Amino acid sequence: MTLSKVPSAAREAAAKLDAPRRDALAELLLTMADDEFVGGFMDSEWTGIAPILEEDVAMSSIAQDELGHAKALYELLAEVLDDGRDADAIAYDREPEAYRHARLLDLPRGDWADTIARRFLYELADEARLASIGTGYGPLADLVAKLRREERYHRMHVVAWVERLANGGRIARGRLEAALAVAAAVAPTVFTRLDGEPELLRAGILSRPLAAADAAWRVDLTRILVPLELALPPTIEHGPEGRAGHSDAFRWLWREFTSVRRSEVGAAW
Amino acid sequence: MTDQPPADRALEGGPAGTLEPYEVFRQEKEGGPMIHGGNVLAPDAVLAVHYAREMFGRRNESTRLWVVRRADVHVLDDPDLLDPPLDRSFKKPGGYVMRDKLAAARGKAGTSKPGARAAAHDTTGRRTGGEA
Repeated sequence: MTLSKVPSAAREAAAKLDAPRRDALAELLLTMADDEFVGGFMDSEWTGIAPILEEDVAMSSIAQDELGHAKALYELLAEVLDDGRDADAIAYDREPEAYRHARLLDLPRGDWADTIARRFLYELADEARLASIGTGYGPLADLVAKLRREERYHRMHVVAWVERLANGGRIARGRLEAALAVAAAVAPTVFTRLDGEPELLRAGILSRPLAAADAAWRVDLTRILVPLELALPPTIEHGPEGRAGHSDAFRWLWREFTSVRRSEVGAAW
Repeated sequence: MTDQPPADRALEGGPAGTLEPYEVFRQEKEGGPMIHGGNVLAPDAVLAVHYAREMFGRRNESTRLWVVRRADVHVLDDPDLLDPPLDRSFKKPGGYVMRDKLAAARGKAGTSKPGARAAAHDTTGRRTGGEA
């Protein structure tokens, strides 16, 4: 994927931001983009080996969608930072520890149940987060409206799979329960409090604190998990470690997704 | 996707015992005809619609899809019924130019386009009668 074309639609809006607001917005955009980017790349590891051909196409397409969302968010970020880096440079030219994705997206691909559990918890969390983006920064509000239209389908797909694994007999259910237990323990890290959160709320870029998005996510999860008699995620303290200290699985993935870019530094693709 | 019965896929392992084919029809633009696009294998109708969307709708090429379980399709392919051996040329309108007569009839009736029947024919696939 090439991320090099940067539209300048947001440049004017970005230029009007003062420093604290720009930093806070950049942090939000980076966390959102890295979540979509890392999660999308991990999902793409199913390409060619998903359970059936149709599902292979579906999962690959969803992974591409998520990378497309990451691309759009990195492009907005490039406009906001205006530091000479384009979306490609932000996406690929960082050391693993500089990525700010949530620990939920640090999980290895695992088996099908692991992927469904991670995707399920993330999709609904992302939806709650997207619903928390206000109108304070026009270019982001416009983009979020588009992202939410695409995420509707992702949600339908992953919820269909959770229901089928939960009701799919002893082995399928057992694997789903085990996978959910692992993923749920780190799933709330999507709502890790941001340093710039008070500023984002003042600016109306966030319409509610991420803690409120976390609460909305739990209400949403309850409606699906309780009828299936599946456990809800534990509540956790939101410390900065929610988006730091990445796993070996992520470092492996990082080597994969940066390998082409690193193979010929500075090349135009 | 397959043109064969689902038994083929069962040999490849996976949850194939429960898969069955669904035929997918697609509409390229609103009001256009539903054209057979191909088929998908799926364990149920919900996932069949997801897979149809991925195979026939993810590149903005369709405004509507109909997804039909193949087992629900009534097939008629009996050559005695569709291709009878006796001469049927007298049933074909060849050599009989309708266009001018139709135009004259339309002029007389004051209607411009022959679209009334087509417009009344539902191409949305939505269930009619009862709740929507």
